[in-house]
Amino acid sequence: MASPLEQFEIHKLVDFPDVTLPLVGHVDLAFTNSHLAMTIVFVAIVAFLSAVTSKAQVVPGRLQTIGEGVFGMIDNLTESMLGHEGRKYFPFVFTIFLLILGMNLLGMMLTFTATSQLAITVTFALLTFGLVMIIGVVKNGFGFLKLFWPMGAPLVMRPAVGLIELISFFLRPLTLSLRLFGNMMGGHVALKVFAGFVASAAIGSLGLIIGPPVGLVSMAMVVALTALEFLVAFLQAFVFAILTCIYLNDVVNLDHAH
Amino acid sequence: MADPHETPAAHGADATHATTSAEHGSGGGGVPQFQFEHWGGQIAYLLVLFVITYVLISRVFAPRLRKVIDDRAATITGALDTAKQVQAEAEDQARAAASEVGEARAQAQRVAAEARAKASAEAAEKSAAADAETGAKIAEAEARIAAMRESAMANVGAIAEDAAKAIVEKLTGKTATAAELKAAGGIA
Repeated sequence: MASPLEQFEIHKLVDFPDVTLPLVGHVDLAFTNSHLAMTIVFVAIVAFLSAVTSKAQVVPGRLQTIGEGVFGMIDNLTESMLGHEGRKYFPFVFTIFLLILGMNLLGMMLTFTATSQLAITVTFALLTFGLVMIIGVVKNGFGFLKLFWPMGAPLVMRPAVGLIELISFFLRPLTLSLRLFGNMMGGHVALKVFAGFVASAAIGSLGLIIGPPVGLVSMAMVVALTALEFLVAFLQAFVFAILTCIYLNDVVNLDHAH
Repeated sequence: MADPHETPAAHGADATHATTSAEHGSGGGGVPQFQFEHWGGQIAYLLVLFVITYVLISRVFAPRLRKVIDDRAATITGALDTAKQVQAEAEDQARAAASEVGEARAQAQRVAAEARAKASAEAAEKSAAADAETGAKIAEAEARIAAMRESAMANVGAIAEDAAKAIVEKLTGKTATAAELKAAGGIA
């Protein structure tokens, strides 16, 4: 029986010569199964959006209805959280949402889940965090620091609350990346463990007495967990999009909120 | 399961994970996500895909979808406006028709009232004429009756005188004169 962690291993499909960059160090250049998963997701997203929008009609067909539903969901999210500025940041949130959702869902079909790679979730989190930082500084200048000076708190409390705000602000990329990473990895490990019990029971390695009940219970767990994981796949992508909107709102509407 | 062993850049954390994994008999090289030599390629590739997706969505897909959605909103608004206009027109027409009907009804009532007045006037005239005729006849008849009563009363005087004369003759044996009879009739 293979380790439940085997599914997270990176395999090189096409190897390229490795490079050593001055700051990063040794970089293993190769087209791996992770790259393949990302490529499939990317192609699927572009194909889906092309199919939805290429023959878009005033009276939508089935596919267009789905596409407009997803579009409208994120559009409403950015609009309701960021106000009239929402449209400007919609493409960013929509891109993040679609890529994460695509990778999560592809993980339910393939053996490899790109969003269970910490490297991927860290990249998404840093993209969001970086955008928040850039917008915060460009839009507000030094006023950006007002984010850490809570005007609602009593004066004596402000330094302490501000310090907490500052720490929590810089923990955001960590929480963003670990939430997605942990959810996807945990779910797939659990699925694999129960599926492994089913396989063990099926080949009789658990014995004839405890084997069948364990196999049946595990099979039920696999079915239930699969349904749950589909929910988690969508929910985590949506949570990421919502949090991106919340963090963007902090800096986009800094003057109104504080 | 070969890759982790080929990359001897085992970090401290990886080494401990490797031992725990090895105890489970899987022969894994720790949590695969922490093999940092694979990070660079994945991150770079994801960034490239992200930028391409972002540009495609912001330049192509989002405007297309927004256009369709705006078109739909415009179509719906236009259709609603047209419907409202048509409805208003229909209401105007209905109002005009109602007023026409009212007018026609009023006219009909007027005509009917006129006809009724005319008929009742004619009837009154006719009955007045009939009344007059009847009255004339009644007066004539009354006059005739009066004349007849007068002549009858006159006869009654003569009969009474005759009767008185006869009574007087029977009782007294004398014939009463006309003047006496007359006087007696006047007393009676």
